[in-house]
Amino acid sequence: MVLFSKLEIEKPSELIFGSAKHPLNYGLGLNVGKGEVIPEVKFFPRVFSDKDPIGFKTEVQTITRDILDRAVELGIPSLQIETELTFMETKNPRLAAEIASLQKWLMEKYFDEHGIKLGFRVTVADIRDFREGLRTTANYNLMMETFDAVSSNGADVLSIESEGGKDVFNHSIIRQDIEGIVFSILLASLDMGFIWKDIVNVARRNGCIAGGDTACAIANTAMKLAGGVKSMSLPHTLAAIVRAMSAARSLVAYEQGATGPGKDCGYENVILKAITGFPMSMEGKSSACAHSSLIGNIASACCDLWSNEQVENLRLFGGSAPQVFLEILYYDCKLMNRAIMLGKALELRDMLVLSDKFDDPQALVLSPDVAIDVANAIVSEYGDYYRRVKSACWKIVEILESSSSLRLSLPETRFLSHVKNIIDSLPDDGETFREQMCKTFTGKVPTFQEKDYWP
Amino acid sequence: MSEVSLLARLKDAIVNLDFDGSKHLAQEALAKGIPPNEIITKAISSAMEEVGRKFEASEYFLSELIVAGEIGKEISQMLQPYMKDAEIKKIGKVVIGTVKGDLHDIGKNIFGMMLEAAGFEVIDLGNDVPAEAFVEAVKNHEPDIVGMSALLTVTMVEMENVIKELKKAGLREKVKVIIGGAPITEEYAKRIGADGYGKDAVVGVDICKAWIGKK
Repeated sequence: MVLFSKLEIEKPSELIFGSAKHPLNYGLGLNVGKGEVIPEVKFFPRVFSDKDPIGFKTEVQTITRDILDRAVELGIPSLQIETELTFMETKNPRLAAEIASLQKWLMEKYFDEHGIKLGFRVTVADIRDFREGLRTTANYNLMMETFDAVSSNGADVLSIESEGGKDVFNHSIIRQDIEGIVFSILLASLDMGFIWKDIVNVARRNGCIAGGDTACAIANTAMKLAGGVKSMSLPHTLAAIVRAMSAARSLVAYEQGATGPGKDCGYENVILKAITGFPMSMEGKSSACAHSSLIGNIASACCDLWSNEQVENLRLFGGSAPQVFLEILYYDCKLMNRAIMLGKALELRDMLVLSDKFDDPQALVLSPDVAIDVANAIVSEYGDYYRRVKSACWKIVEILESSSSLRLSLPETRFLSHVKNIIDSLPDDGETFREQMCKTFTGKVPTFQEKDYWP
Repeated sequence: MSEVSLLARLKDAIVNLDFDGSKHLAQEALAKGIPPNEIITKAISSAMEEVGRKFEASEYFLSELIVAGEIGKEISQMLQPYMKDAEIKKIGKVVIGTVKGDLHDIGKNIFGMMLEAAGFEVIDLGNDVPAEAFVEAVKNHEPDIVGMSALLTVTMVEMENVIKELKKAGLREKVKVIIGGAPITEEYAKRIGADGYGKDAVVGVDICKAWIGKK
């Protein structure tokens, strides 16, 4: 197990797009984090794989070919394609393997014929049923079987959006229950410690890369609930706090041996890049096809792969939606790469940062200077899952409170004071916290079982 | 402490989202012999109105509205053993679920909690719910309203299927149907034959209350 006790990237000026301290080389000649930003495109087929598996495979094949054709038309030199398996495909390892194999065959063909450098990420769905338990269940084994199937059939990078702690988080977030949220992130960390050992083993066995995990089920749920600038569904400061705390959770994959590139929807990846030095995929304005956010520009400031999150395979005037979004991503990347070549990367990064930074607390967290402060707060408590979540929370609350440029509404500042009081009252040691929280949530959240996390 | 000031303190505790303080004050009110109905109308309902007003004025978040609703619900449950059957009647019954193929249920959960806070009995079928399960639930529970949610454009089509199945089973005219979720629009609701579209949980609950009021 790797313990990150200090930052791999300590200076905010070095936390920048296209450049990682530990770049990666994989797939069909792809170099990630080595001086250029590469588009990573992801799609969502219209055919349901459980209703029509043959139609589904045909559609994935068509989409992959469409993407590669557009890449050739535009002269894209390097590209990553991500296939995110749904529940249906993950529950069918044979189908998942066939899809991966088919896509990789096409990629090899385009690599041979056109010289385009290609990487292939496969994200497996977390199909575990919380009611049955999270470990050593049939669904867990099936999920690992699918990891094995795709990694032995062409996947270069393995990822997941693991869902440990999600039931407690869902219960807590809509009640603004800070203790419950901290507990859910502690649970998520413990769960990741378990599953990532197995994912890393599968990846090593099949000669592919263990990419990373995202706090999609936690921090992106908070982001989605927080909504737009005028939405009063959830404090935006809470969504920002959850993001910062989630970095302590997503770090576990790298401690267990993942090496990046981190997966796109983990906006906490900017904090993780500072801690680990590994390249990261990010998504922002070009993922508006999948969901709205208030962090469209700032999210690209430190990316190594630039993603569209996911787009449905619809027909648009400009081609299929995956083709169109690849093109949008490519032009974003071209701009960043030209800035790198001209020695203007830092200026461009700062413009991207400043265009969003003070408009919303969720954007502020992603600013390189703030990300490094949060990263330092996390590594200062390395090795202790509970204390580092708490430490990240303290740090981001302090930053949000002291920012003179971030204009918070009265309800937001009232909420921040409330969070401070709660965090102040939390016990110092994880064991006491565990006892208190297990007592609180056992029975209250029907699917929560202590033994899933402390077997 | 007088009855009036005790109920005022209870109302304030709920408005300030003080869970423990509210429960303690409600117990004190019961111990002083204040009738449960009076505790509900003069403290809980009045507090909920105040919290609702604060939400409308953008002083409170929706999540705070939910917390206040949970406090109100818990105190009401605490009072139930001291109330006559006629006094604890729910205002209506709603069957809710996230449609087949869709696992995103947090919006539906918020809707359910707010319905309960508003006095509805809620039967939550969970997520990934097939049309047959909605039909079965309508047969078994005889609700006033069926609520469906979906987050994905590929799963929202399942809502139409549920409505068709309700028609086939001869149950469509017995219930109102409300739908919601990120990709849903008023136009879509009309197109598939739903009776209402809740653009968010607050609007959805208002629609349900209006339907029940019209009955």
